[in-house]
Amino acid sequence: MNYVIALFLGLFFGFSLNKAGLTKYFKIVNQFRFTDFAVLKFMMTALVVAMIGLYGLRGLGLVKFPVVPATYIVGNLAGGLIFGVGMALTGY
Amino acid sequence: MNWIKQQISKELWSPYAAGTLLGIVGILAVVLSNSLLGASGAFENLAGMIGKAVAPKAFDITYFNFVMPPGITWGVILLVGVFFGGMLGAATSRTLKWGKKDASNSDSQWKRIFGPQTWKRWLVGFLGAILLEYAAGIAGGCTSGLAISGGMLLVPAAFLFIAGMFASGIVTALIVYRNRY
Repeated sequence: MNYVIALFLGLFFGFSLNKAGLTKYFKIVNQFRFTDFAVLKFMMTALVVAMIGLYGLRGLGLVKFPVVPATYIVGNLAGGLIFGVGMALTGY
Repeated sequence: MNWIKQQISKELWSPYAAGTLLGIVGILAVVLSNSLLGASGAFENLAGMIGKAVAPKAFDITYFNFVMPPGITWGVILLVGVFFGGMLGAATSRTLKWGKKDASNSDSQWKRIFGPQTWKRWLVGFLGAILLEYAAGIAGGCTSGLAISGGMLLVPAAFLFIAGMFASGIVTALIVYRNRY
């Protein structure tokens, strides 16, 4: 059952990425050149919508948050720095 | 009804609309199966599975035993969905180019910068992807698993990661594009 949910959610995940144009190289790299802000708009909208929804639901006592990614400053930053290079090259 | 059909077949949505859809997907992932939308972890699960079968000794390390246990996880199934979801998106906007010539390298901006050869695209894509997976392994997630899923739970790690990602992404784009920036 959990797998069916995963497949279903994945479908919508991929669909939204494609419709936002984020499956294209130039969309990603143009964000870093500041000529196209679709990536930032897309990410921040998703963040805000999900934040409001999740914190609202938790406030009502309807969900419990899963184990969150650990914070270790050096790792997160270093990972982010290497990730950005790959991202700007491949357009992932 | 016609309006909905029209919207679905549009090639490019407003990023706000698509972002809202992803936000809802993120909420549902937590509500329905108490999971986060991670994409890079799934590759590590699969790599662990292959590695354990081919070279069990080399893969008998903490990382593959405890941090990223091999197997068909929730994330792997999610990734299958992402693949077909992306295809569905392309199919509805009639941009799906299955097996057509140059379909793997049809980006005019890419060609202007790196040249028209397809093998270059594959090579840069491959090397870039290695960097991506390696970095995601260090940071504990990628754009979707850490930046978006972590960010929506207000995890500090996510914002550190986003800062790093943009800092080096901008520098890399500067180097690649130089005066065309």
